[in-house]
Amino acid sequence: MKQILANFNKAFESRVRLGIMSVLAVNQGMDFTGLKETLAVTDGNLASHLRALEEAGYVRMEKSFINRKPNTSYSITEEGMESFSSHLKALEELIRNQ
Amino acid sequence: MNNQSDQPLEDIRVIRKLMEESSRFLSLSGLSGIVAGVAGIAGAIIAHLIITGNSPHTDWYLRPLAGGEAGTAPAAKLFAAMAVVLVVAFSGAVILSSRKAKRSGIKAWTPVTRRMLISLLIPLAAGGLFVLFTVRTVPANVTAASTLIFYGVAMMSAGKFTFGEIHWLGVLEVVTGLACLLLPQWTIIIWAAGFGVIHICYGLFMHLRYRG
Repeated sequence: MKQILANFNKAFESRVRLGIMSVLAVNQGMDFTGLKETLAVTDGNLASHLRALEEAGYVRMEKSFINRKPNTSYSITEEGMESFSSHLKALEELIRNQ
Repeated sequence: MNNQSDQPLEDIRVIRKLMEESSRFLSLSGLSGIVAGVAGIAGAIIAHLIITGNSPHTDWYLRPLAGGEAGTAPAAKLFAAMAVVLVVAFSGAVILSSRKAKRSGIKAWTPVTRRMLISLLIPLAAGGLFVLFTVRTVPANVTAASTLIFYGVAMMSAGKFTFGEIHWLGVLEVVTGLACLLLPQWTIIIWAAGFGVIHICYGLFMHLRYRG
């Protein structure tokens, strides 16, 4: 049980963060608006969770200009992908041991 | 959204749902395949009438659709008829898919919808230009083949962002396109099979499988 909880990542405790990681794991990159639409959360809520994941090194932010409008695109880092999949494994284990 | 993730089962459910919905356009209606197929068969019949009514040759399929003795009139009529077929099929897909999205409570216009449309429209536009530039010089069966092949490639490319079955629909369209090149005397029948029968079979299959 201790082993399972060790893999249970604190950074993914919030369901919004879990949602962000799920979406970025299967999409090569997504802009802020796209994430907001997909997850149905408010700007402020999404921004704060994205910042936390960025600080943890799980999510990468890229700013660019599309038709002179600023565009912020987010993608998952290699580290983020690894932690997310071990978190998924921990979830599975938890269910199996229930 | 709940901030407490103390239920791993619910977490997994949310993760699966988000992964699926964010990477695939799941509102694509199977019924729209049937609409497209019926429009395709009607288009093939109209095309046959226009061509046989304008061309004095029984081997019209070996001659260009536009230019030559036949002039450009049949080609202009054909383009108008095919444009109507395309509009009917496309609006059918849009209307039925938004209805399906509304019924299943998911949004139809999402980032993945836009990605799917872009990957669909690029090969389709290339095909349209290809036909426009070659319709005066290549035999009719090659023109028919290129519409099927480019459409098939467009479906294969869009298939990455929607149901995987769309990819195989695209493969079948490419195969029927190649058949037009090998059996030119059957051009109209093969074209009707590609845009008509295959779409209807696909639509029925998807409608029964995914109930929509």
